[in-house]
Amino acid sequence: MSERKGRRGGGGRSGKRAARQISQTKQAAYIERNIPYFEVLEESGLAQIEYNADTVLEEIGIEFRDDPEALQILKDAGADVQGELVRFPRGMCRSIIQASAPKEFTQHARNPENSTIIGGKRTVLVPAYGSPFVRDLDGGRRYATIEDFRNFVKLAYMSPGLHHSGGTICEPVDLPVNKRHFDMIYSHIKYSDKPFMGSVTAPERAQDTVDMCKIVFGDEFVDNNAVTASLINANSPMTFDDTMLGAAKVYARHNQATVVSPFILAGAMSPVTVAGTATQILAEALAGMAFVQLVNPGAPVVFGTFAAAVSMQTGAPTFGTPEPSLILYTAAALARRLGVPFRSGGGLNASKIPDAQAAYESANTLQTAALAGVNFMLHTAGWLEGGLVMSYEKFILDADQANMMPILLKGVDMSENGQAMDAMRETGPGNHFLGATHTQANFETAFYRSTIADNNSFEQWQEDGELDATQRANKIYKQMLADYEAPALDPAIDEALVEYMATRKASFPDKDY
Amino acid sequence: MSEEYDDEEIILSELPDDELVEQMHDDLYDGLKDEIIEGTEILLSRGWSAEKVLSEALVGGMTIVGIDFRDGILFVPEVLLAANAMKGGMGILRPLLAETGAKPIGKMVIGTVKGDIHDIGKNLVAMMLEGAGFEVIDIGINNSVEEYFAALEEHKPDVLGMSALLTTTMPYMKVVIDAMTEKGIRDDYIVLVGGAPLNEEFGEAVGATAYCRDAATAASTAVELVAQKYAA
Repeated sequence: MSERKGRRGGGGRSGKRAARQISQTKQAAYIERNIPYFEVLEESGLAQIEYNADTVLEEIGIEFRDDPEALQILKDAGADVQGELVRFPRGMCRSIIQASAPKEFTQHARNPENSTIIGGKRTVLVPAYGSPFVRDLDGGRRYATIEDFRNFVKLAYMSPGLHHSGGTICEPVDLPVNKRHFDMIYSHIKYSDKPFMGSVTAPERAQDTVDMCKIVFGDEFVDNNAVTASLINANSPMTFDDTMLGAAKVYARHNQATVVSPFILAGAMSPVTVAGTATQILAEALAGMAFVQLVNPGAPVVFGTFAAAVSMQTGAPTFGTPEPSLILYTAAALARRLGVPFRSGGGLNASKIPDAQAAYESANTLQTAALAGVNFMLHTAGWLEGGLVMSYEKFILDADQANMMPILLKGVDMSENGQAMDAMRETGPGNHFLGATHTQANFETAFYRSTIADNNSFEQWQEDGELDATQRANKIYKQMLADYEAPALDPAIDEALVEYMATRKASFPDKDY
Repeated sequence: MSEEYDDEEIILSELPDDELVEQMHDDLYDGLKDEIIEGTEILLSRGWSAEKVLSEALVGGMTIVGIDFRDGILFVPEVLLAANAMKGGMGILRPLLAETGAKPIGKMVIGTVKGDIHDIGKNLVAMMLEGAGFEVIDIGINNSVEEYFAALEEHKPDVLGMSALLTTTMPYMKVVIDAMTEKGIRDDYIVLVGGAPLNEEFGEAVGATAYCRDAATAASTAVELVAQKYAA
């Protein structure tokens, strides 16, 4: 009788149903890696690329456009500034970065449980960024609105495999260009409690981001802790513009993190080879990150890499092909040697709809990024059509992939239970393991269970309406939005944010630039 | 699991009939064999007929298990445990049912066809059927026509189940069924076939009564066809 008390823990049907239907299990705020990095170049190859990058910086130089202050900062630090062209003595950028840039940093979320760490052996998965269009099965391809933006923030909030709310998760083109950042930042704060990215489209918009964060976190906290990580793209090849430099300066001065990302469509914006592109990426990232460290030594920076290849037939960007994977593996190794966090990867593809092309191109990039050791994986979920489209269904498909990453990166369980010798002793030749004690103890968590894949029999699938993965994802995203419940937000903070936005919006006219 | 269950000590013999049956449904669901045996004995001692215990406590409970397995709430290892618990109860009821001459839920001879030693799927079907209250005689792997016939002769089942995993062994099902027809015994049995390379069309072509796409379907099909047979 005493044994029954313990065994009767299942609670029959009601207990099991309740337990099994909590499918959105809480995950950690980042993935902790326990497997080796996949490397494609040996020491001599990486050293050669580093030498060549220094040659680019010393001989060819990087342009810093329309920002005299930036040029002065670089000149004062010892760079050779001729007009807007800046040349760096060999080793200068590397030593500036290594002197002050943190190897890893915490990005705080308004819910401390979601505060994440970027760098080291960790991977943070982030939704896609920047699409002007959205698409779903019902509405087709259309311009994104702030309503879509809110929807994707909600979906990311509800996706346990995504650690981050992202930034411009899609572009709300229904709002004026010079004011939409208010609503985007507010949506990240209001509809999610995961960390997010700030506005970078003008220095004053970056400042608005910081000021709104101060309402949420407090002035002093924001000045001493990263509560945003924002995307500073190089205007490759070998150029930074005043928009990006302006935003970078605002964030750096407030100790906020920046993700300095050469944006490369190889063949158009860099040479057609892997080594050449990796060299240029390193040179641009070194210059950008060194600049941030000069603005404020110790401000968190991430070495970013966005590399695709252009079709030499048409000039169109292509994704999920082998060359960008080789570039990604190489850049990840270079970032590790430099000692800063690394951003790349995501579910990149050029397909117009969530079809087989979308799936395999995305999987190629996601797996490469995971094995390469990406710390901050932007574009993990939703991306279609080379980033032009944020897809509701693709978001759900990618979120399923994201859920698998921590298991892959955790590696092999070599505990006694993992070795499973008891299971083999108990079962023996010719029998099955499904009833073994070891199986009974482990089956629930033993294998990843996809939220999307249909593994049923043909007949069962037929009875269920012959739905393909996109159709199944369509049902899931609608159910998620219907089930969404907002995380609690202090009403006083909410009110202060709304008032801040109203005051700021009223202080200057709407403009579409 | 939730604490409210941990704190609760349940004495089956103290429960009124309706609560006991409900508890047995939960215990079947949770795969508690000893508890099912105990519950079965208590109900019998309270004067319940074996037939009533079977249909209300056991089959009623396994129906819930079947539904939740179909809906993806319960997993294979859990259904195996539930079926095993059911088997415990059936061990007590079967001789009593035979004595009273009650209509059995069904009896099945099942085996993998000649040339095929892949039996995990067949084993799952056998367990699901036992869970549904069937008496299952598993004649194992690699069965020839003669071996099937011997088993039919000896056990006189309602159902013959044949399974194959290989496209090279599945045609042997037709060999067995043709031999049954030739011998004039085909119509004495419900013949169910299954296995990954089969489909509905193949089942029809070889002359089976039905093709069953998975273990759960095999169990429900067998129960249904046997019930029809006894109703006729």
